[in-house]
Amino acid sequence: MKNRLEEIRKRHDIRQEDLAAALEVSRQTIGSLENGRYNPSIILAFKIARYFGMSIEEIFTYEEENL
Amino acid sequence: MKKSIINYLAAVAGILLAGSGLFLLKFILEPQGIMRALPYLCIGLGCGIFGHGMGNIISEKVMKKHPDQQKQIEIEKNDERNIAVANRAKARAYDIMLFVFGALMLAFAVMGVDTAAVLLLVFAYLFVVGCYIYCHVKYNKEM
Repeated sequence: MKNRLEEIRKRHDIRQEDLAAALEVSRQTIGSLENGRYNPSIILAFKIARYFGMSIEEIFTYEEENL
Repeated sequence: MKKSIINYLAAVAGILLAGSGLFLLKFILEPQGIMRALPYLCIGLGCGIFGHGMGNIISEKVMKKHPDQQKQIEIEKNDERNIAVANRAKARAYDIMLFVFGALMLAFAVMGVDTAAVLLLVFAYLFVVGCYIYCHVKYNKEM
């Protein structure tokens, strides 16, 4: 799964720490999400989408590996 | 509030238990049977319970002075990635434990160790596997 979290966060001029505090997750989680090392739960994905006022699909994209 | 009362009670119970262990150790001359191990058991358990209770009391007092840090600790504790990492580590450790226990049972059997010890190990192994199967069935129904 790919995401545009880093791009969107920077566009909103928010630090990782502040986003983490707003979403009540650790800063490492935000870093891992941005690097694509960790895929969020559906709840966290909804929280992120709601925080930026966007839909989940606008932030996260799923691409099948074999296609 | 209720939690801090439990911590105070644990600290007091720990002191009492360790104290009674020391008392038994000092005043029972030529102990027989279980009384040979009981004082040390009381001291060990007492110190453990006291340490646990006292540790919680101290950390609670410190956290009251720094609510921002308490919030951060709460976030770190409930962070979904941290929980996922811990669960993954536990799962891997469980897999390794099954191999280690299996090898140890085999080694004990080959070494000709006392049957009671080997059987205890086998039952402990089977109990752990039984817990795994129980939890698997339970979570399968829940999810």
